[in-house]
Amino acid sequence: MNKVGGVIISHGQLATELLSAAEAVVGDINQIRAVSIGWHDDVEAAKGEIQQAIAEVSRGAGALLLTDMFGGTPTNIAAMFFKQGEVEIVTGVNLPMVIKLASLSKEITLTDLAEEVEQQGKEAITRAGVLLEPQKLRKDA
Amino acid sequence: MTLINDLGLHARAAAQVVREAAKYSSRITISREDRGVHADARSILDILYLAAGLGKEVLIHAEGDDAEAALSSISDLFAHGFGEI
Repeated sequence: MNKVGGVIISHGQLATELLSAAEAVVGDINQIRAVSIGWHDDVEAAKGEIQQAIAEVSRGAGALLLTDMFGGTPTNIAAMFFKQGEVEIVTGVNLPMVIKLASLSKEITLTDLAEEVEQQGKEAITRAGVLLEPQKLRKDA
Repeated sequence: MTLINDLGLHARAAAQVVREAAKYSSRITISREDRGVHADARSILDILYLAAGLGKEVLIHAEGDDAEAALSSISDLFAHGFGEI
């Protein structure tokens, strides 16, 4: 089974920079592409770019699209590509989600992967103070 | 092991641990006993959640056929401050 591919899609350069940051941590990432949609880009052109990125990374195993914000243009365009078992979309992308996607080496279906990445993204949001000094902060509360 | 590099177990250090751990078949965990948290040494994100900064103590545990070799090479990374010293 081939590895599921990924495409990060965002407003501006966020997608590109998220991918660069993840590469600084885990090394080269081959199966993820970044598509940045400019504030004034044409929707059809953006659609074409996403379609090409999906084709490059999916290799029969499907593609997970990570978008910046639910309801935003990148997500709305990405949503046009949703196809059960072939293309899934998870919104609210953050760096841990990209690292998770990049470092999953086990064989996993697209649906399971989408669930894991969604879960990872949520777990990655913490009040760091509570994590680091639980007793102290809870007492203050 | 005590974290001796200024940045502690940060993202790139965690990535080094993961790459090393991947060379062995043993199940390797890194724990912060003071907080009661354990991390799978194969997961960068797990390791980051240890929030192990400079001066913090971690316990490395390996179980399996090549446990001894795994422990020794991963301990080495910590002992050398992940090459940052």
